[in-house]
Amino acid sequence: MAFKQHSVLPGFKLSLGYTLLYLSLIVLLPLAALIIKTSNLDWSAFWTIVTEPRVVASYKVTFGTSLLAALINLVFGLLIAWVLVRYPFPGKRLVDALVDLPFALPTAVAGIALATIYAPNGWIGQWFEPLGLKIAFTPLGIVLALTFITLPFVVRTVQPVLQDLEKELEEAAASLGATRGQVFYKIILPTILPALLTGFAMAFARAIGEYGSVIFIAGNMPYVSEITPLMIISKLEQYDYLGATAIACVMLAVSFALLLVINGLQWWTAKRLGRRK
Amino acid sequence: MAGGVNNAPRSIVTTETRPVRIVLTGIALAFIGLFLVVPLVSVFIEAFRQGWHLYLAALVEPDALSAIKLTLITAAIAVPLNLVFGLSAAWAIAKFEFRGKSMLITLIDLPFAVSPVVAGLIYVLLFGAQGWWGPWLADHDIKIIFAVPGIVLATVFVTFPFVARELIPLMEAQGSDEEQAAMVLGATGWQMFWRVTLPNIKWGLLYGVILANARAMGEFGAVSVVSGHVRGETNTIPLHVEILYNEYNFVAAFACASLLALLALVTLALKSWVEWRTERLAAEDRRHATEE
Amino acid sequence: MSIAINGISKHFGNFVALDNLQLDIASGELLALLGPSGCGKTTLLRIIAGLETPDQGQILFHGEDATDTHVRERQVGFVFQHYALFRHMTVFENVAFGLRVRPKKTRPSETEIKRKVHELLSLVQLDWLADRYPAQLSGGQRQRIALARALAVEPKVLLLDEPFGALDTKVRKELRRWLRRLHDEMHITSVFVTHDQEEALEVADRVVVMNKGKIEQIGTPEQVYDAPATPFVYQFLGDVNLFHSRVHDGWAEVGAARFAAEAGDSDKAVVYVRPHEIELSRVATEKAIAGVISHSRLLGATVRLEVDVKDAEVVEVELTRERYQEGGWQVGEAVWLNPREARVYPAA
Repeated sequence: MAFKQHSVLPGFKLSLGYTLLYLSLIVLLPLAALIIKTSNLDWSAFWTIVTEPRVVASYKVTFGTSLLAALINLVFGLLIAWVLVRYPFPGKRLVDALVDLPFALPTAVAGIALATIYAPNGWIGQWFEPLGLKIAFTPLGIVLALTFITLPFVVRTVQPVLQDLEKELEEAAASLGATRGQVFYKIILPTILPALLTGFAMAFARAIGEYGSVIFIAGNMPYVSEITPLMIISKLEQYDYLGATAIACVMLAVSFALLLVINGLQWWTAKRLGRRK
Repeated sequence: MAGGVNNAPRSIVTTETRPVRIVLTGIALAFIGLFLVVPLVSVFIEAFRQGWHLYLAALVEPDALSAIKLTLITAAIAVPLNLVFGLSAAWAIAKFEFRGKSMLITLIDLPFAVSPVVAGLIYVLLFGAQGWWGPWLADHDIKIIFAVPGIVLATVFVTFPFVARELIPLMEAQGSDEEQAAMVLGATGWQMFWRVTLPNIKWGLLYGVILANARAMGEFGAVSVVSGHVRGETNTIPLHVEILYNEYNFVAAFACASLLALLALVTLALKSWVEWRTERLAAEDRRHATEE
Repeated sequence: MSIAINGISKHFGNFVALDNLQLDIASGELLALLGPSGCGKTTLLRIIAGLETPDQGQILFHGEDATDTHVRERQVGFVFQHYALFRHMTVFENVAFGLRVRPKKTRPSETEIKRKVHELLSLVQLDWLADRYPAQLSGGQRQRIALARALAVEPKVLLLDEPFGALDTKVRKELRRWLRRLHDEMHITSVFVTHDQEEALEVADRVVVMNKGKIEQIGTPEQVYDAPATPFVYQFLGDVNLFHSRVHDGWAEVGAARFAAEAGDSDKAVVYVRPHEIELSRVATEKAIAGVISHSRLLGATVRLEVDVKDAEVVEVELTRERYQEGGWQVGEAVWLNPREARVYPAA
């Protein structure tokens, strides 16, 4: 890093120095430990661990359920943001505040609450039981928990963009003969698309790493409803540190890739909205 | 922060017909009801299923009390640490230009992207019995993993970005005109910080602290990996809830969970209040600026 | 196409935006809606476009009721104050938008769209910008693209909201002339909103002066400027001096000067005189007002003098630079003011 100091304000070296030190100690060094630990494994040993059938099955469960949950929230998150920004209804402030509940409610609490409600004898689960549809203790339960956990992401990324969408753009399109549907697909959707995808990617990234809410409702059956974070835990419990580390490394790589994707999407959002730094 | 809530009716051209609006609003509210309200309400109903006495008994039981204590201690250490970090990072990033800035911002975000389980694991790899410094720590009889320091460390990791994330855009938007004015008027660095910068960012700071605190008290995955689950010693409330739930002691589990749900509600209320205040101040600001 | 506005009213909450308006717009004319901000001119324009619905009254397009016709079907071209160009589309796509959203049956072919868009872009002299995005254009270019986009749907009426408001002075003047020429070529019924009297007087065939939701006067630029119907119009269309006076025998008296007034005896009246319609003299005449020059300011080709007059506020007098130099007027000098033109209105 080059230190170009133009400002007359004090404290640049102190604040940046402290920031870098603290970041290194809390985040970078421990993450480096993970990578160094993995490098003790040779490639084929690493590959064997991370492609073990049970682990591969857990990837499928994790990515599949996360993708589904993120897709559900892509649709409903957009709908909720739309309704909150555009339609008047009583109690709107309360609903708006409630959207953040999954950020504020500890995941374990969400997990046991959802597991109880959707259990075969639970409030909602009992209605699905006769239909032969089991939700709790199946991958469906995982989707449910992940949908809960990631609900705010799309709403909160799309809401401000919808809020700032100039109504003149819609009026201009209408005066040029566009129907309401055409206005949505040709004007509104392209404008909010980057924000929508950012929210989707954030929800997906969060869902992949989620542990607390899922383990209570998943049933954790090997090959069926076992998620990757749980694989790490169970390896740890068997004192298989190398195994846990190898799988964690895969997850870390995915997280990092998603973080880059999200950054790229945010840059795109800023560009599309014409906000330049 | 979240976008504002606007209740003004829109012109006919830029909205849908009334039936469409009602249907869409209905679907959105039903989704929120089913996915958010029902689980929240169920926590309290399950907690009080067997009456007040059992509820209270579950909370004053020694293991529960020690879990509450540990949770409070953890938050009391982790939140201030990240508060100082957040201020320092935001100051450096928002007020100065340097190369590698966007890389730094991305790295600060990293803990949000990492799975909580991985967050716990990395500390086990450093400080655990099999870890880098495990043997040295064991020789000196210092326990970090399966003890309170490990829990605090894991919590610091998962709440790491909250305050910084909130302050960086806020301070960038405010610019440094006021600070420069203070310097020109002869203020020292600390005077400028306490009298100019801090009053300007206090609401954003509070917002970040509220969110960091909620996460610190409620973290499960990362803490679960480093805790060792020793009853009465290394259990935070969420871990205590898990143990009770797995023992089929549902009333006690939900009673402790209801404390966390209450915390969530208080967090949401505070958060909305801060948002409402900032919005109002911004609106007033705009009004005064245009009145001239 | 002619437009008739019959008794249109519009409220926003307690605010009366338009109060029982009556207006006929002839086919092919270029009409300016002129007034201060908040006078209702933009609301009227938006009602004509169908972007806003009136609480009361009727809009007739070519004699047919169009009050409930959706903006989509009205076939109006609307140019927004800040242009409302679609940021994610190129200039070409922006102009083509109105053609592309037509129902399949009436949608022109791709080659037809291409031809038409390029024709319009040539018309606004910006064909070379077709592949740019709006963010890459200057203000004046955006304005012309917005116009081309509105014209693409072959509107029967062209509506422009403060079309030059967001531009700097030099570009604004060029575009004004260009719009006038364009209108003379195309003869499309056009209405534009402005708060700038110079703009209205220079460009429009007829000017509608509005204030507080009502029409104060409708007329050609000459009519509204030379024969303002109300004090508001007089004041809005240029600088003005006012003298408070009382009427005697059909004359409003200001100092020694008198002006014909229609009001009755001893009624209060206000006399309006424009700064450039006052002659200065060093000789006292029968009808002159005495004063002392207190300030002089050079404003390019003209000179503005402030003259202190007894019983009145400061009076402004505007002279050409030549006349100022010929006269050799000095600050501190006693002078007599001879209004060439004046209008007397009963005091409110």
